[in-house]
Amino acid sequence: MKIAVCVKHAVDETELKVDSGGNPQLKGAPTKMSTFDKNAVEEALRLKAAHQGEVVILTVGTPEAKKTMKEALAMGADRGVLVSADPMAMDTRRTSELLAAALKKGGPYDMILCSEGSSDMYSGLVPPMLGELLGLPYVGYVKKVDVSGQSAKVERALEDSVEVVEAPLPIVVSVVSEINEPRYPTLIQIMQAGKKPVEDLTPEALLPGAGPPVPLVKGMKAQAMARKRVVFEGPPEETAKKLIDALAAEGVLPR
Amino acid sequence: MSIKIWAFSESPSVANEVASAASGLAALAGGGFVVVGLDDSAPLLAGDEKLVLRADTLLSASPEAAANTLAAAAREANPDIILVGSTRDGKEIASRLAVKLGRPCTSEVFGVSLGNGTLQGKRNIFAGKLIAELSIPLPCVVALKVGTNPALPASAAKASEKLAGTVASKTRLVEKREKQKGTVDLRGAKLIVSAGRGIKKKEDLGLVSDLATALGGAVGCSRPLSSDMGWLPEEHHIGLTGVTVHPDLYIAVGISGQLQHVAGVKDSKVIAAVNTDKSAPIFEASDYGVVGDLYAVLPAMLREIRARHH
Repeated sequence: MKIAVCVKHAVDETELKVDSGGNPQLKGAPTKMSTFDKNAVEEALRLKAAHQGEVVILTVGTPEAKKTMKEALAMGADRGVLVSADPMAMDTRRTSELLAAALKKGGPYDMILCSEGSSDMYSGLVPPMLGELLGLPYVGYVKKVDVSGQSAKVERALEDSVEVVEAPLPIVVSVVSEINEPRYPTLIQIMQAGKKPVEDLTPEALLPGAGPPVPLVKGMKAQAMARKRVVFEGPPEETAKKLIDALAAEGVLPR
Repeated sequence: MSIKIWAFSESPSVANEVASAASGLAALAGGGFVVVGLDDSAPLLAGDEKLVLRADTLLSASPEAAANTLAAAAREANPDIILVGSTRDGKEIASRLAVKLGRPCTSEVFGVSLGNGTLQGKRNIFAGKLIAELSIPLPCVVALKVGTNPALPASAAKASEKLAGTVASKTRLVEKREKQKGTVDLRGAKLIVSAGRGIKKKEDLGLVSDLATALGGAVGCSRPLSSDMGWLPEEHHIGLTGVTVHPDLYIAVGISGQLQHVAGVKDSKVIAAVNTDKSAPIFEASDYGVVGDLYAVLPAMLREIRARHH
């Protein structure tokens, strides 16, 4: 199987600092592979172990995205494709168009894996857009993948139901984080990852004549967390009573 | 500004919320809006005008078929704004429509309004640490965050029908298993008690469910308990990638308060927390907190609640 995994290099939301005016300090903020993308890489590696083949990592990112590329390669992927563009400066449709063009150029792939959404924006739009742009079957929010011959049988987790869906390969799949536990690369794998080939592509080469991207985000502000933050400490009998009293005073306990 | 607005959701419980947002935008634009439905899904309740799309395929069985049908009808009617719900299937439908119609698109949007010829709104980013201000050029497709608009009361506008013909899907639905209703219905719950890693073993979840029962609430959990430990089914998982809740009271028990968990509860009216670690981030996100061992505090809370009812 030839498997592609689309990943994103993202600012680490847990480390992102906000100044006293509520403005995020995005420049120089710590970055990481988008959290749930590790599950997509892991699933690709498991499929490769079961069916042989190749795992290719694709990303649209700034030069800093090489860090995420290297991490995915260290986990066990074979090679990478880096499209040099800043996803923060475009909308998800342009990101999807770039990925779709890169997938067509290096394809055909039997399976294209994504996570359900990125840990920074969490739009969840790129995976179905890829299915639509490539004209391939797409199944989203998948928690189990079985490939047999030239078809896939998957389980998708929806809000109130679980669906079992079948489709012929090639197929685009987005996975939920429950699907697996991502592996940690060994020190040797991390050292060897730098030697694996990474192809560099440009938006100009992939989408000649495309107009300038139109970002939809006009500004970002810290979320106002207007919570009372009253904390009770002391013996359990006392603190429990204080808490119940406070909640009763708020009128949120059943009468 | 005269603009044409469509409202659609494949989910009956979300469709009226989307209609509600459409109604607000239509009022701003001084016009009406059209609620769109598929003939094999939920009945259309609210809307100035109703349009039912029919086909000889089971449209509601596949987001792809639904999107194909909606796109064909949208090419004719050319609505400036297509609103859908940010359900899992809804986001797929929105994505497909955006590509088919060549429109900008984003998801999980709330607080929509009109201005400068664009649709304006907000969305949570970086697991809810920041809010993004959006300006989306028309025509566009926007998936609205579920639970952010009050459902619109039913109205009696006449529905028109449109035949979409045959719509093929590239995937085949083999089986659909409904999740157990009644065991968990967190999205609509008024009171939720949630368990986190502070619970040491599965049997101890009884402490949390006892408190929930005493308060007439539902039981939720943070991701490790449903995903890593497997102590509760995944539909109990509250957070960014799980269920988003908005109860009157949310009680976090032994939950440290990672961003991705808090992202799912921050629309709660009142948040309370019990945690041994005074520096746990959950206290920053709470109105009331108790620093203490949940194994001592929860039984004390139960005694206090029972004492009040006697």
